[in-house]
Amino acid sequence: MTMSASTPQQAPAIRLSNVHKSYGDHPVLKNINASVARGEVVVICGPSGSGKSTLIRTINRLEEINSGSIVFDGQDIHATMPAKKLNLLRSSIGFVFQNFNLFPHLSVVENVSMSPIRVKGVAPDVAYDKALKLLDRVGLAEKANAYPGQLSGGQQQRVAIARALAMEPPVMLFDEPTSALDPEMVGEVLSVMKSLAAEGMTMLCVTHEMGFARDVADRIWFINAGEILETAPPEEFFKTPRHPRAQRFLADLRH
Amino acid sequence: MITDIITIIKDYWLLLLIGQYPNGPLGGLANTLILSALSIALAFPISILFALARLSKWRALRWPVTALVYITRGVPLLMLVLWSYFLVPLLTGADVPSFVTMLTTLVFYQGAFLSEVVRGGIVALGHGQMEAAKALGHSYLGAMRFIILPQALYNMIPSIISTFVSTIKDTTIGYVINVPDLTFAASQVNNQLLTQPFQVFLILAIVYYAICWSLTKVANAIEQRITRRRAGPSRTVVAPLAPSKILSEQP
Ligand SMILES: Nc1ncnc2c1ncn2[C@@H]1O[C@H](COP(=O)(O)OP(=O)(O)OP(=O)(O)O)[C@@H](O)[C@H]1O
Ligand SMILES: [Mg+2]
Repeated sequence: MTMSASTPQQAPAIRLSNVHKSYGDHPVLKNINASVARGEVVVICGPSGSGKSTLIRTINRLEEINSGSIVFDGQDIHATMPAKKLNLLRSSIGFVFQNFNLFPHLSVVENVSMSPIRVKGVAPDVAYDKALKLLDRVGLAEKANAYPGQLSGGQQQRVAIARALAMEPPVMLFDEPTSALDPEMVGEVLSVMKSLAAEGMTMLCVTHEMGFARDVADRIWFINAGEILETAPPEEFFKTPRHPRAQRFLADLRH
Repeated sequence: MITDIITIIKDYWLLLLIGQYPNGPLGGLANTLILSALSIALAFPISILFALARLSKWRALRWPVTALVYITRGVPLLMLVLWSYFLVPLLTGADVPSFVTMLTTLVFYQGAFLSEVVRGGIVALGHGQMEAAKALGHSYLGAMRFIILPQALYNMIPSIISTFVSTIKDTTIGYVINVPDLTFAASQVNNQLLTQPFQVFLILAIVYYAICWSLTKVANAIEQRITRRRAGPSRTVVAPLAPSKILSEQP
């Protein structure tokens, strides 16, 4: 873990306190209080439009919030701060998008190495070597010189994960990383995520892959209409969901 | 007809090529090329600045540039040229050479048009690319420079080229304020010959056509080179996955 040594080990990686957000007068996140421990894997689930994407996007401040605080590594992400500092904070939170958002004008290895070079000032040859290792790790070493347009969706998403990992973030956020994929490609992406979890990465994943949630998550957050209604370990959540809305959600999933 | 044209070229090629130079200012084709090249070289970066200003979240930047672009686009170039020609010396008292007046006006005029092209290219990319860049820690300007603009400009190459071509054609308007360019030289030739306007202006048309055509060719070649590079060396079939290879070992 690359957390600063001064932070006590038991401090959470991310803590959300009283987070509110609305679009106009339409509240999207209501009084969110939750935290993610170091090394914890949290799966966020809930019905469509419940605010899952909004929630995860506020954590690296791709969305602003109206009130409350989100503390990461001892810093309030939503405090007023110089752009430089925000960029630095963001660079230590990996984010994986539903539709990959690879840079189509750059080759795969350039996609992975450009941000370490441009943002962190890593020497290009060092960044390239690192990128090749990461690509090997996601099983795409032989695609290093291909362009994103030449890859399948599953391959693109694995490159996107490697790209995020290249910044060496202590935390990774995933917003429905497999929802845009053909079914036969879901597995390859999930297995990359699984191995990350096994290595102790702190992860927050919005996903509808309940098999993944059951196998990999330490905790499920169930969100509905902008509220976290239930947080529970997966075996408990799937067997004995307490909230009626969660029960209904799980029942709907079964067909 | 052809022989007339050949005779005209034989007699006047130096005037058409460099104007009165070295006895007077540099003119003719040389000056047209210089004016075109400078206009394009300056209008291009200015158009990017205009586009960024128009997309800025700061009103103080957005509004004045938006107004400037709207006004510039809504007024004929000739009008702007005459304005700058008569008004600038009146206001500043400075004696501005007509070449500079023409260059500045062209740069703003074509810069305004081009900025709309650039802005369109940026907007067409959508939010995803900027969000991905931000999430990786890039600054706004860093993301623009390394991620957004390379794509937006590439996608807009055809429109950018046609703006460049019209910039070259618009240099001819310098004629009305006596910029000693190719058009000016040709009309001098015409005034001396008096009887062969068709031949003289046909030469003029051919030369302008040749310049614009070469520019288009060069641009297409550049575009194809970028496209080929982006297509990458391996247009091969997607290799079957080695499923177990996916990870586990530390980097
Ligand atoms: N830019 C926006 N402007 C206004 N309303 C928005 C905006 N983005 C999201 N919303 C609304 O906020 C609510 C939560 O959206 P969000 O995308 O977070 O849901 P979600 O749980 O991720 O849904 P899905 O499963 O469909 O991805 C929805 O009601 C949506 O309509
Ligand atoms: Mg969503």
